[in-house]
Amino acid sequence: MARTMTSSVNVVRRHRMLAAVTLAALCVLAAGCAGTTQEGGGSADADAVSFLVFGDPDELMAYRTLVDAYEQATDGADVALVEASDREDLIARLSTSIAGGEPPDLFLMNYRYYGQFAAKGAIEPMESRLRKSSVLHAEDFYPVATEAFRWQGEQLCMPQNVSSLAVYYNRDLFRQYSVPEPPDEWTWTDLVSKAQALTRDANGKQVQGGEAEGGSAVSVYGLGVEPTIIRIAPLVWSNGGEIVDDPQHPTRLTLDTPQAKEVLRDFLELRLAYGVIPTDDEVEAEDDETRFANGRLAMYLSSRRSTTTFRSIEDFEWDVAPLPIYDKPAGILHSDAYCMTAASQNQDAAWAFVEFALSAEGQRILARTGRTVPSNIEVSRSQAFLDPAQPPRRAQVFLDAIPTVRAVPSISTWPEIEDASEGILENALYLGQTVDEVARQLDEATRPLFARGESP
Amino acid sequence: MRAPSERSQLALMVAPFVVGLVGLVLVPAAVTVGLSLTEYDLIRPAHWIGLANFTELFADGIFRIALVNSLVFAAVAVPLRLLGALALALLLHRRALGVGTARTAAVLPTAVPEIAYGLLWLWLLNPFYGPINLLLRVGGENGLTVLGRTPPQWLTDPTDARAAIVLMSLFTIGESFVVLLTARQSLPGEVYELAEVEDATGWDVFRRITLPLLAPVLILLLLRDTILSFQLSFTPSLVVTDGGPPPYATTYLSLFVYTNAFEYLRYGYAAAATAVMLALTACVVALQWLIVRHYRRAYVG
Repeated sequence: MARTMTSSVNVVRRHRMLAAVTLAALCVLAAGCAGTTQEGGGSADADAVSFLVFGDPDELMAYRTLVDAYEQATDGADVALVEASDREDLIARLSTSIAGGEPPDLFLMNYRYYGQFAAKGAIEPMESRLRKSSVLHAEDFYPVATEAFRWQGEQLCMPQNVSSLAVYYNRDLFRQYSVPEPPDEWTWTDLVSKAQALTRDANGKQVQGGEAEGGSAVSVYGLGVEPTIIRIAPLVWSNGGEIVDDPQHPTRLTLDTPQAKEVLRDFLELRLAYGVIPTDDEVEAEDDETRFANGRLAMYLSSRRSTTTFRSIEDFEWDVAPLPIYDKPAGILHSDAYCMTAASQNQDAAWAFVEFALSAEGQRILARTGRTVPSNIEVSRSQAFLDPAQPPRRAQVFLDAIPTVRAVPSISTWPEIEDASEGILENALYLGQTVDEVARQLDEATRPLFARGESP
Repeated sequence: MRAPSERSQLALMVAPFVVGLVGLVLVPAAVTVGLSLTEYDLIRPAHWIGLANFTELFADGIFRIALVNSLVFAAVAVPLRLLGALALALLLHRRALGVGTARTAAVLPTAVPEIAYGLLWLWLLNPFYGPINLLLRVGGENGLTVLGRTPPQWLTDPTDARAAIVLMSLFTIGESFVVLLTARQSLPGEVYELAEVEDATGWDVFRRITLPLLAPVLILLLLRDTILSFQLSFTPSLVVTDGGPPPYATTYLSLFVYTNAFEYLRYGYAAAATAVMLALTACVVALQWLIVRHYRRAYVG
């Protein structure tokens, strides 16, 4: 009996000990979870406005400059810049920090990607704050940019820039090979001709399309362009086509129309027919932006964001030209906006920073870094943006394009649509496929994504 | 005060593991299975949709590609990793000049942080400036190898890219190497002395002594590596190949799950893919276990 009693006591003790150890360990775990600050989103300092951005080192430096200026100009202001490595990283940090209940107060996002957060109610509309603001007025901004961030009749985010696609070109290479610089109006055919004239081997001899196959003989390529839907879209619009069936409520890509197929054919011929763009291996070895900065790419299609990187080029002169046209001028909107998370606990302070960043002063600071084409109309026409002492000399190109820029559809699944189409276009460009086959594959891969998407 | 009994001490020692197992493995696994039956985007509340995620998953071409890629990776990488670790352990188990340095070199890649390891390989595999292809071009002309062939296009050819991911996994075998090295060193020396007296060849010694004696350890490592293989490919495919080249040549289940969960905010859908991955791992391990048991019965009795 005594042995049984002792045994029972031991069992109870063992259970209690085990329970105590388990409880202690769970407490440690729970404390660890609760005490973790949001590396991806929220700030370690509860009073600071956390601001999530991504970009290359030069872009991030531009935002640090802006934040420093705000903190100096405003008593007690504290903004913690949270830097993501790229767009995917930013989205992952944002979504997980929202799910974890400690989101950043602000984040900067392109209109092509904000739809998935807008549709889920993760963004606090700025509509009422904008109306009450004595600093910001909707009419001071380019309507095409503000419109891109309106969701179900409300101004959700406020755009910081209104860029478009332009052709960066190496002036030294144009001079070296006696090729006239791109004029203010030119066609796609002109662009391809210039790219052919500028594709050269190590001896400076022009390399023809067939010879360029294999790539290693080419020292300078005429053109660099990513095989993405956003590079093709403005060309399709310029040729009188559309990229989707209904821009408000899209259900499919429409790259199977004659206008779109003509553009697609011209685009896909750049590598295999003309050999004016680097091979896929060469792009993997050195991306187009780096190749341009290294002086081995004569022209490069990109938005304003490349300017900050290119301003560090010292070995040659460069400039920008407008996007070539097919039938009529058309451009694609590249715009990022300040968005406030619905779950932010610091919305007033966050809005105060947005007011500063989008005020004439804040916009001038960022414009001087080269990063943005300011969304504020007045600032975009000021010396801060059009400074002749800073390249690009033809910065007016970005402003001239604004009346003709269009936005891609606002749909929550747009990031998936871009990713799915990129792989198909990449294969078609480098391996060669018929235009009909490419259009069919694009339609087949993206139709379910449109069906699942949510539009405003 | 009385000293705690042996069972209490055991309970104390096992408690942290049990807590970790429950809190970090079993509960998250159960939550994942639960979420796989919902539509959840990390932002709005989850809502029940039954098996709809699984129905969509099996009709999803990208998921099927990822599934096949993962299975092929496991089938190729796991045996090669095990063979590599075994070969190194047998080569380096004796005391010899420089063997300590060689052992350190064998373990070192496993100690490198995964992202840094991936970035290192991004440079190694660079088609034009990477040391691997530069080495392969030595003696060749016009960018070809000495045999007149194009060097592997690690980042643009689907087969070469898959091979690159396997290649990367072959250098992170430090743990298996250490386990096998220790196991080999603990084998009784008398058996080998007896074999020497009997004039057994090296191959005979390996086949009839070393391999059977190391078999339990090898089986354990095989099962562990199989489970690990579904995660091993994640960082390389994210950092080095970004799931490409198209169409989804190096998109493995782990990358598929990550992209859907954190880039496309389809957490419920990603949870379903994770559940399939868990089930698949369990099936592969069970199959291996059945085969091992069959052979053990047949040969050991």
